[in-house]
Amino acid sequence: MDPMIEVAGLSVVLPPATVALQGIDLAVRAGEFVVILGKSGAGKTTFLRSINRLVEPTAGVIRVAGRAVTGASGAELRQVRSQIGMIFQQFNLVRRASVLDNVLAGRLGYVPSLPSLVGRFPPSDRRLALECLAQVGLAHLADRRADTLSGGEQQRVAIARALAQSPAVILADEPTASLDPQLTTSIMDILKAINAERGLTLVVSQHQLETALAYATRIVGFRRGRIRFDGPPSALTPSLIDAIYGDGEAG
Amino acid sequence: MTRAAVFVGAVVLAWLIWDTEADPVRLAHGLPWILDFVRRMIPPDLGVLPAALAGAVKTVEIALLGTAVAAVLALPLGFLSARNIAAGAVFYPARVVLNFFRSVDTLVYALVFVAAVGLGPFPGVLAVVAYTTTSLAKLCSEAIEGIEPGPVDAITATGATRLQILRFGVLPQVLPLFLSYVLYRLETNIRAATVLGFVGAGGIGFYLQTYLRMIDYPAASTVLLVTVAMVMVVDAISSRLRARLV
Repeated sequence: MDPMIEVAGLSVVLPPATVALQGIDLAVRAGEFVVILGKSGAGKTTFLRSINRLVEPTAGVIRVAGRAVTGASGAELRQVRSQIGMIFQQFNLVRRASVLDNVLAGRLGYVPSLPSLVGRFPPSDRRLALECLAQVGLAHLADRRADTLSGGEQQRVAIARALAQSPAVILADEPTASLDPQLTTSIMDILKAINAERGLTLVVSQHQLETALAYATRIVGFRRGRIRFDGPPSALTPSLIDAIYGDGEAG
Repeated sequence: MTRAAVFVGAVVLAWLIWDTEADPVRLAHGLPWILDFVRRMIPPDLGVLPAALAGAVKTVEIALLGTAVAAVLALPLGFLSARNIAAGAVFYPARVVLNFFRSVDTLVYALVFVAAVGLGPFPGVLAVVAYTTTSLAKLCSEAIEGIEPGPVDAITATGATRLQILRFGVLPQVLPLFLSYVLYRLETNIRAATVLGFVGAGGIGFYLQTYLRMIDYPAASTVLLVTVAMVMVVDAISSRLRARLV
């Protein structure tokens, strides 16, 4: 079976001349829960943002769910993006919009463009958005303004928005780094449930080792823009952890 | 360094005072005339109140229509002249055009439009539109440049089109700020529109100028009082609306 996410020879140079990623090769199978581990600055965020081309790769090939990401233009790129849900460290909700409208934004890749511009979504999309909100336990807050919610609730709305895309893959960039430790568990549990119940492929970046070990089916360790470890949590030895986190060189 | 700056400042200040013929003594000699002017305005001639009120209504109408049209024109222009939205080929020319038209005041536009379409409130409306469009577009583009990139990333990641990204990622962040700018411009336009009548572009300024020319100070006084009341009422309403936007 073809991998769900296929990355070959990915390099990213961020302007003006920062080499963020170098020669990354990675294949993620459907249903995996991959945690990208590494210190800040190791290239985790750039890697995740390359997968839906929020960051433009300098070299390499990326395919998701059988579709080309690199080289895709206009409508092709939007189609493959609609298959990839993304969750951000800072939640990135539209603060002044209602919770439901934020979740509905997940449907933008599917709905007809003109009606959506005046705020009209098909009833089926509204139902789906409400279901996604219910899945993260926030259906009762649908009409609230997004910025009136707590941080943990906002991240759950962001997860609902990603689910509303009916995606093949969800990318989560440090989804718990802006939250209190006890909320980390609740957010990671929701992601785990999505992975288990829907069979969704998850790629989650984390700088916390304990969280990575507790949830991942596979850990990929990044250091200075390169992959230093790739394997199951059980294979991660102290010396390998040191290779990812060690202070020998600047991160 | 500091001493040199103080010295240069003092020289410039002295030259400015000399060149503008600024003279406190002359002001002191003129004070009785100002007092005489004020004294002759009392009591106001309330007989011209209906005319003054009609002029005030016209001035408010000029400012309202002009600001509304300008707001509609300014929003798309703001997007075209925002560095983080428009391509360089659009953005740079748009900025130059905006800065060019914005450097001319409403009153100067009024002179041009009175010559073009004749006397009355219509050239006043056109003048308000001309200045306000460019100034609101500039403010709008700055608001757009100040948005958080996060929600835009999130909307982009859903597979949205460029227009959908603008509508769902950018517009909700900009709209409240833009509307409060519009209300603020409305307040300043009311003030600007009071003098439009001086150049024949309609409104209460026409009455003020007429009575002053006729040396009918009690009548001019009524017009002035109505102007003050009009500005205060509009400011109060507008600032209340603005407070609700934040």
